Amino acid sequence: MTRGIRYFLTGSALVVFLGLGTGLIAYYNGGLPIGPRAANGDLTFVPADATAVAFADVRAIMASDFRQKLRQVLPTGEELTKFRDELGVDIERDIDTVTAAYLGGQSAPESGVVIVRGRFNTAQIETLATQHGAVAEDYKGMRLLSMATGDTTSTETHHAVATVAFLNAGSLALGEASAVKKAIDANASGDDVRKNAEMMNLINDVTSTGNAWVVGRFDAMTNQAGLPAEIVSHLPPVNLFAASVHVNGGLNGMVRAEARDDKAAEQLRDVVRGALAAGKLMTGQNPKMDAMLNSLQITGTGKTVGLTFALPSELLELLNGVAAAHQLGTGTTIHK
Amino acid sequence: MADAPRPTASPGFMYAASRVFELSIGEMLWSRRTVFMGLVVGFPVLAAIVLRLLSSLGVAPITINNHGVDGPVIFGLMIWIFFVRISVPVLGVFYGTSLIADEVEDKTITYLFSRPIPRGAVLVGKYLAYLACTVFVILPAVVIVWLLMIPMGGSLGASFIDLTKDLAVLALGLAVYGAVFALAGAALKRPLLSGLVFVLGWEQIAMILPGYLRQLTVAHYLQGLVPHAMPSNTPLSLIQGVFREVPTLAESLISLGLIMAVSLWLAARTVTRKEYVLEQ
Repeated sequence: MTRGIRYFLTGSALVVFLGLGTGLIAYYNGGLPIGPRAANGDLTFVPADATAVAFADVRAIMASDFRQKLRQVLPTGEELTKFRDELGVDIERDIDTVTAAYLGGQSAPESGVVIVRGRFNTAQIETLATQHGAVAEDYKGMRLLSMATGDTTSTETHHAVATVAFLNAGSLALGEASAVKKAIDANASGDDVRKNAEMMNLINDVTSTGNAWVVGRFDAMTNQAGLPAEIVSHLPPVNLFAASVHVNGGLNGMVRAEARDDKAAEQLRDVVRGALAAGKLMTGQNPKMDAMLNSLQITGTGKTVGLTFALPSELLELLNGVAAAHQLGTGTTIHK
Repeated sequence: MADAPRPTASPGFMYAASRVFELSIGEMLWSRRTVFMGLVVGFPVLAAIVLRLLSSLGVAPITINNHGVDGPVIFGLMIWIFFVRISVPVLGVFYGTSLIADEVEDKTITYLFSRPIPRGAVLVGKYLAYLACTVFVILPAVVIVWLLMIPMGGSLGASFIDLTKDLAVLALGLAVYGAVFALAGAALKRPLLSGLVFVLGWEQIAMILPGYLRQLTVAHYLQGLVPHAMPSNTPLSLIQGVFREVPTLAESLISLGLIMAVSLWLAARTVTRKEYVLEQ
């Protein structure tokens, strides 16, 4: 083998190893600092046994063209203005990210915690909360504001305690007192979701794919939700799921499910294919709907079933047109 | 009385194959085919550089339905269109069919076959040289495209696993197509034409026909391993997408392994038994 060939082979191998090395480092560091705002800091407040985790880069979504078009369709609520005046929080400008975790359990309020990152006037929030009967306390060095709320179910009256916790500068946790305390415990002990390899694999897969995502264990969620056996028997045999959307001019997204086995995955693919075919038949000659349905792509091999989609901005304009026509019919004005 | 010189033992199969490999890789790398390979592989790299430059200037390089497409999606499309559908089968045809056919055409096969080495080792050595030559050109090109495209709205870490799958799929594809066309080169009189008909004709038609015919293609098993969404950029791709049945991972790997092993074995057997008549 001549020296030239040796140089060529060595050079080629070097390029491949450098690329793989870069990728490997990025993989173990949770991605190089490229791409959208990450949820890593807030994940320290998500307990390791969380069944599902969701994240939204609210600031990016609010600044997107999609949101601007959506504003023309949706009316601006008085509640938002009231929220801003009383709490000093403008949802469109003051909130950066929202991370939510589903912790499991039979009662909905006790099973979730939401961590909001942004710029908050903590004094104004605390004053308003105490005026409405909230009780302030300290828990592991963090300020908690708790207020009992009546939650009447069909069998018993359960008093949930709605809690706001000031986690650190620019972070709030919202949820039922026990869930919020569990989140603070996870952060203090280090036993957070980052220790859950299965969940982190899913999170690492979706963080770069969109500015809002949700991942979770489908089987655990259905088991914990206490659904009737008839409904459970008709649910797809899926272990894990992940979904993400990237909101910009339109909406790009993907949904991915890990089925129990290859056969279940193939059945699920057949169901999705059937649904797509039915959708194409029903949309008829509508070119915009047709474009959206054509953007749906079934992906994945083995146990993985995926579906990618794109909602074009024209579809929003179409909805806007429908809304405008509706508003004209009812004699009200539309926001522009 | 002096001892008569003892006849040297003929080298073993693998040693002979390694010697042919060393001899052939230089010939393959510095041949006219390398220019063709450079064009096939260089185009995606050039396209990636242009797209990256456009992106850095704030221009969305590719838009679908009026919104920009992120780097990871473009990378997935490039893997499908440039590498899986074009580079791998085309390089397999051009290099694989020439392994023995070129020696016959140049009338140099006699020199190789007159050496005291198994004829099959000649084919295996040349096949390994083809594999090294193409793998060492294709994989760096994929890595460069990946490094250029993924940071455009994506994360290198998140797409790393897919990159390793892409590299493995492309290397496997080159190995399988190379073995199939090495057999064609050893057995057929006009192997290049037959190879192009197989890749551009048979595989394309079989992949859009409902039924089991697609199982008689390499593309069916290879495309089932690609971790990216299949593009539907042409009517043919759209039809392929509709009738696509993705084989399982085990099914794909076993089938590709079998196709490669059987093709290579048959090619070596053909070379060993066939009497090549050189045209005067």
